[in-house]
Amino acid sequence: MPTVYRKILRYAAAFIAVVTLTFIIPRLMPGDPVINLLGEDSTLSREQVEEIREELGLNKPLILQYGRYWKNIITADFGYSYHYNRKVLELISGRVGWTLLLILPSVIIGGVFGSFLGSRWGWRSEKKLSKAGSAIFLIFYSTPPFFLAMILLYLFSFKLGWFPLKGYYDSGSFRDILLHIILPVSVLSLFSLARNSMIIRGSVIQEKGNLYVLYARAKGLRSRAILIRHVFWNASLPLITIIALDFGFMFSGALFVEMVFSMNGMGTLLYDAVKSLDYPVLQGAFLIISWMIICANAAADLLYSFIDPRLRVHR
Amino acid sequence: MRPIALKRISKPGLIIFTGFILVAVFSGLLSPYDPDARYEPYESPSEKHFLGTNDIGNDIFSELLHSSRVSLTVGLLTALIASGIGLFIGLVSGYFRGAIDEILMTVTDVVLMIPRIPLVIILAVFLRPSYWIIIIVLSLVWWTTTARVVRAKTLQIREMGFIDSAVTMGFSHRHIIFTDILPNVIFVLIPKFMLTVASAMISEASLSFLGLGDPTKKSWGMMIRYAFERGGFIQDMWWWYMAPGAAITLCVVSIVLIGFSLENTEPRISAFSAGRYE
Amino acid sequence: MKLRLMMCFALVMIMAGISVWAEGQQELQKKETILKIGTPNEIKSANIFSDYYLGIFAHISNPPLMKMDEKGNLTGLTAEEFEVSEDNKIWTFIIRDNLFWSDGKKVTAEDVVFSVKYTGDHNPNARWIKDTLEKTEVLDGNRAVFHFNKPYTRLNLEFATYNIFPEHVWKNIQDPMKYLNAGLNIGFGPFIIEKIDLDAGTVIFSQNPFWAGEKPSLDGFEIHIYKNSDILSLALEKGDVDTYYKYASSYPYAGLQRLEKTGGFAFSETLNMGLVFLAFNLEKKPFSNPVFREAFSYIINYEELLKLDALGYGKKPNRGFVPPSMGGYMETQALKYDPEKALELFDKAGYTEDKRKDLTLSVLVRSDWNRVAELIQDYLSAVGIVSTVRSLDLNSWAAEKDNFNYDVTITRTTPWGMLMHAGWGTGYYDSRRSGRGVLHSVEDPEFLNLCDIVLGTTDKNRLSELGEEVQDYYARNLPGIPLYWNTIVIPYNKDFTGWKPDPLYGIYNLDTFVTLKKKNNN
Repeated sequence: MPTVYRKILRYAAAFIAVVTLTFIIPRLMPGDPVINLLGEDSTLSREQVEEIREELGLNKPLILQYGRYWKNIITADFGYSYHYNRKVLELISGRVGWTLLLILPSVIIGGVFGSFLGSRWGWRSEKKLSKAGSAIFLIFYSTPPFFLAMILLYLFSFKLGWFPLKGYYDSGSFRDILLHIILPVSVLSLFSLARNSMIIRGSVIQEKGNLYVLYARAKGLRSRAILIRHVFWNASLPLITIIALDFGFMFSGALFVEMVFSMNGMGTLLYDAVKSLDYPVLQGAFLIISWMIICANAAADLLYSFIDPRLRVHR
Repeated sequence: MRPIALKRISKPGLIIFTGFILVAVFSGLLSPYDPDARYEPYESPSEKHFLGTNDIGNDIFSELLHSSRVSLTVGLLTALIASGIGLFIGLVSGYFRGAIDEILMTVTDVVLMIPRIPLVIILAVFLRPSYWIIIIVLSLVWWTTTARVVRAKTLQIREMGFIDSAVTMGFSHRHIIFTDILPNVIFVLIPKFMLTVASAMISEASLSFLGLGDPTKKSWGMMIRYAFERGGFIQDMWWWYMAPGAAITLCVVSIVLIGFSLENTEPRISAFSAGRYE
Repeated sequence: MKLRLMMCFALVMIMAGISVWAEGQQELQKKETILKIGTPNEIKSANIFSDYYLGIFAHISNPPLMKMDEKGNLTGLTAEEFEVSEDNKIWTFIIRDNLFWSDGKKVTAEDVVFSVKYTGDHNPNARWIKDTLEKTEVLDGNRAVFHFNKPYTRLNLEFATYNIFPEHVWKNIQDPMKYLNAGLNIGFGPFIIEKIDLDAGTVIFSQNPFWAGEKPSLDGFEIHIYKNSDILSLALEKGDVDTYYKYASSYPYAGLQRLEKTGGFAFSETLNMGLVFLAFNLEKKPFSNPVFREAFSYIINYEELLKLDALGYGKKPNRGFVPPSMGGYMETQALKYDPEKALELFDKAGYTEDKRKDLTLSVLVRSDWNRVAELIQDYLSAVGIVSTVRSLDLNSWAAEKDNFNYDVTITRTTPWGMLMHAGWGTGYYDSRRSGRGVLHSVEDPEFLNLCDIVLGTTDKNRLSELGEEVQDYYARNLPGIPLYWNTIVIPYNKDFTGWKPDPLYGIYNLDTFVTLKKKNNN
């Protein structure tokens, strides 16, 4: 089977698996959805609870729902959330933009600076600066994300007062939003940066030792030319593929950042939905996030196979 | 292990990590107090209590030493199970190739693309916090890079002539896998194993922060959570949360140093699959 | 070339940073007096009808018929006074004459009647209204009359929680549970909701131009929502918000000392009407055995619990369960920590040391009280009883307790919850009731009868007698054990004075907002 078709099949399989997963898991969750809708203090009689359950239609058999679920996905009907009192699709589209606002700049900054610094430090790995820089990034890479976020928030927003403590904005102006997102984006970028630079550096160091570099050196090319032309291009992934692969990783990081910075994004949406057992939102959010990651991966895969002929055969 | 690997292994990483293991094993002897004993709460570091006390009066230093057990155990067990799964899948996939390979690789890709932490969170809330659950859930999402790497190496070895001759000579597949392929693959497995330990430890801490950890067991992640939740953060008791935070970071640094120093596979694979770390 | 790209990038970032900083410097000083309230309570939708916490916040813009004053007495808010028929089936509320909607129209008894019916018809929480309200009428222009098909002795209490909506606006809204309005919501209180911005995490209240009551000195107030409690504390200290509000809860005790040190805060302290408690699974052994329960009550170190979980802010509890802050409180015997006595009683209950060793008790705790569970576990092991702790957040916990998957569970009551059903916490124990926070664990006919008698009386004297009987029942039978009676401490910016906290909603009530004044520092 030609590689391209194989790949398409893979991604399609991934999508089907994710849809099935998002269908199964929320339905196996414990708890009575009706009770969860009512306030903590309320005391209704059992009959009243059953009446409400009937009315909301939360008592239909599972198997029938799977087919209908697929139909809904295709028609982009993600259902309705009783906790938020909105259509899930509306809810998600209101939030996904904010999360992307955090993730995209971080991934780009992390990718650009990460590969640059990583390759530079890999090539000149003996120098003190390279070692120090790599060490610092190693520490950032090894720190739990929420921890770093809390500490940076404390230092820069509280102690120094440079940035606000919560939310995406106060007044809504462009500059206001910028102020609010600088710190969270910095946190995410740091992680992306640290990760990418370490990976690239590792690759470059290995590639350095390869024979063809010696050969190129023997031909008389200058140091930098070797780096840029041969080693970097072969040893590391092209920038776009790094960025695309980072995407999935960033969503997880964004969850913690959103929580620490009190931001209404996909991460907090998912987490809140899980805690309140709001399974339409849970399904929708998880599905959309997965779908975005699958697309990013597919894009990366596609670009990568174009760039590296070796890989096309390798599979 | 090949001598080249021994030379390459990061010495500082090895020393620090061994240190942590020793602390975990001997925490009973090393702790000045019983980590569950209660003294005066919210005390700052003093002669009596090296790192002060927490909100219910436990000595933080003793807690710190003791928590290494759970944190390291979660990390190591997760990595063990994940590597086991990855090893099995990678071997089978790379050795038998063909349709099995296709199916297994598809499964691998699918699991790879599912957002890890969100899935773990959902499962953790659903399955209720207890460390065994966390270990199992984490292993289920982390075997993928190991599988890919093992598969690549298996394929590589498979291509070599002597395998075919072994088959012709009548050795069973199982025999070949165990005597010829496995020893070489183990070598590729170990760095990935280490890196999985690192990821698992950070995940455990993150889950505890979200309140999805096991509150009845002392771990570094739980220490941080209680430090935040019970006023350590707002009261500027930085020693309370920085100590476990630093412990996690340092431990992960040492593991990553070891892991990266041992990576000896083709750059292409290492960079590509390394991109899947979380 | 890559280097150049990076440098351009860095330059752009620096310029953006400078412009942002410059803009900040130019911001004009706001001349208005605004109170900023920080809260960890989350608002999920811009719907004052259906969203739980937004509904509470809307008590200022859409005040309910009744309120609880500082002393805990139920008095009129939107209603001036009320009358009840002899059989407790007909309730009449006389609406004040000086209330106006923010669009100028007068608030009428029709609005009141409409609101009650509307709420009953559309809000699942208010189901009981739909089931029991037979008819409504408006008499003499300002009398809203409700006819129920069964007697209600505490309707006035219920009506302290339901907001009043403008009929001329809401009658046209078909599905109020799904209706969203993030802009101006028409109200008749001293302040109305001007804007609900969930992305910024704020709700903005401004003065009602048509308010005819005592004119507030505040120009408006804002509610700021924080997802992270620690960050909220920082914001309070930094001055981003002036005070703290969390429904039915105190400010985290651990943060109080730090605020005290700044010198910029004053504190309001009231004894909570709700409490943290431990309840038993009365359906199975060993807690079906009353002597075992009695023994259990002696293993708990109440002093230590109060010190470690509430940092000493509160009182040690008595067997009667109900705290002194509740109307009708009766002094009962204090709960004691006496491990020796406990052992005696365990033996008496038939649980000698060997039998105790064989027990493995399951402790189900709501995750806010992990530390309490840890301590209880410790107390149990001190008498040789092994226990396992499961810690779940509210929703998962609710599922488990509904299935009685526990021997002991640790949870709390809210002030409102204490008042519910027949009052004095009976709503939590009566096995005939359902609800997310309730235990429905007591099936004892003596208790259930008692509840029914309370529900059938409006005679004040009889009610206080009955209240004492309820507390006596708790003291004798220990269906649950209160762990401590805590004090609700609310810090606020010293510059603001005139706070009037009530037992139900704390500082968040209409009287507070009307009388609040800010000292001018300039």
